[in-house]
Amino acid sequence: MVGTPVLFVAIPLLAAFLIPLFGMIWKESVRVIPGIVLAYLLVLAINLMNYVMVNGPIVEVIAGWAPPLGINLVFSAFSGFLVTLMVFLGLIVWMYSYRFKRNVDFEPAKKYFLLLMMLITGSVGMVLTGDIFNLFVFIEITSISAYALTAFYTGRDSAEASFKYLMLGSLASAFLLIAIMIIYSQLGTLNMADIGSKMHLMKPAYKIMAIIFLFTALGIEAEIFPLNGWAPDAYAEAPGPVGAAFAGIVVKAAIYASIRIIYTLFDLSGAYDLLIVIGMITLIVAETAAIRQEKLKRMLAYSSIGQMGLVMVAFGMGTEEGVFAALFLMFNHAIIKSLLFLSGSYLVYNSKDKLIKEVNGIGKFLPITSFLFVLGSFAIVGLPPFAGFWSKLSVLTAAADSNMLLIIALVLIVSIIEVVYYMRVVNRIYFFKKDESVSTQRPTLNALIAMITLGAIVLIVGFYPDAVTGFLHRASADLMDKAGYINDVLTLN
Amino acid sequence: MEDTLFKILDYGVYGTAVLVILIGLYGALVKRSLLKIVIGLSIIDSGINLLLVAIGYLKGGTAPIFSPGYLDNPKIMVDPIPQALVLTAIVIGFGVTAVALALVIRLYRHHGTLHIDEIRNLKW
Repeated sequence: MVGTPVLFVAIPLLAAFLIPLFGMIWKESVRVIPGIVLAYLLVLAINLMNYVMVNGPIVEVIAGWAPPLGINLVFSAFSGFLVTLMVFLGLIVWMYSYRFKRNVDFEPAKKYFLLLMMLITGSVGMVLTGDIFNLFVFIEITSISAYALTAFYTGRDSAEASFKYLMLGSLASAFLLIAIMIIYSQLGTLNMADIGSKMHLMKPAYKIMAIIFLFTALGIEAEIFPLNGWAPDAYAEAPGPVGAAFAGIVVKAAIYASIRIIYTLFDLSGAYDLLIVIGMITLIVAETAAIRQEKLKRMLAYSSIGQMGLVMVAFGMGTEEGVFAALFLMFNHAIIKSLLFLSGSYLVYNSKDKLIKEVNGIGKFLPITSFLFVLGSFAIVGLPPFAGFWSKLSVLTAAADSNMLLIIALVLIVSIIEVVYYMRVVNRIYFFKKDESVSTQRPTLNALIAMITLGAIVLIVGFYPDAVTGFLHRASADLMDKAGYINDVLTLN
Repeated sequence: MEDTLFKILDYGVYGTAVLVILIGLYGALVKRSLLKIVIGLSIIDSGINLLLVAIGYLKGGTAPIFSPGYLDNPKIMVDPIPQALVLTAIVIGFGVTAVALALVIRLYRHHGTLHIDEIRNLKW
């Protein structure tokens, strides 16, 4: 082994605090340090992932207190896969925003990269931790940096969006704390594996209360209807790369936390239908809302919420195929939605209102960016042979194997709605006449590299889905293996 | 007689904590002034902290310290974990309140009002 999982939390956190100090000595370092840190973490994640695929999960004990007393970090096939994905997207977002605005001042750059490092620390910690109170702390680290990043631009209505996010986010953290308290008062432990093994001791009334509070809290973070009021505004008002980070990193971490709680802690085999119903409502409401949007980023945000609903539906099937489909969707959504946010924010770079009609005819002026946006649109609606096709296909086959024909019908209908609103934008990009008053902005070289990398992954996964399915099968088997998880953590010495 | 009194007291602590949480929720959800919303949110936090400490409390318990001069009996020590949790939760609540107030200042400078109905550029 070359490193330990604790480095994923320790190094970005340390870097976040060192950025302002190094910035005093060498101004360019506020931009350089995050890149070095994230590149190192990516190498580490890939190495650990290779180790985990062969030797089984790594359980790290913090400060020498063995579980269930101390805090432990679990780097398994499932959490490791998500950590690798998050660190990779962090690197892409860093590269894209290296010089997002030309002549950007030192002060904003310092704050931006500091907050980005905190965001990644919190999200990665949420995925790695094996302690439910530690999960709460990491959710708070993530949320506080997310509030600040949402309010990053002073000129727009970003403070309003951020305040809205903060209100819902603090309610979420209050509910989460109440749920943790109920669990602790009943079982006397905070370790997730220990809670999972003792769950049958909990009285049903308390169990239901805890589930309701946990689900409300994590539903707010994971954009599940009807708790997602913050999402469209936060995505629309935050800087473009931050939207990509929200869709690819923060929401994925929240989904991981809710799934870990539902599958491992509570083992709610009978209540999976609830997930399907909530996911379906989220999917339908979000996709129909996306059609009505006039602003590009709000449309992308609603599409993102819809995809999260689809992920919930896939998890709700409760079979290993369903979990595989859900993980594949999460992977594809992280890559494709980041690509859409990154390229989309250059399409509406100079416009004040970021309206969809302002992209008219922009295909001739920004050929590469437009092409990448169109590639992302095709991929996310699930046209073959792009990456999104395989994940939608796996949802449909999983549903067919579980005899859930209604899900198949609804997913297909919703796909048509998706086609309608994405093709509307594509149509405007290429076949409308350019509005002379709209000025275009050519992307920087870093931004181009970042977007092309994502576009290449969309194509590679589209043509060779086997490149990721091996990892995904291991990850879904890992999630379904509740006894194995508990055993790995609790038999540690 | 004494037992019933303690029982009432027990429920009294839990009841007060829940009442504080409800007052906070009322402030956060019903009041239309940004500052009152922030105050409401931090009252919710206080209520939850009170509830957490109450759970770890033991009637006639001692401080959870294993050292000479203290009773070395874990059975009568209060549970230290909820206290540690509350310390963390207080710090986090403080951080969130600070961010919220910073946002309120930004909103006030931008709109010249703290009334939530007049700050409606985005759809609420």
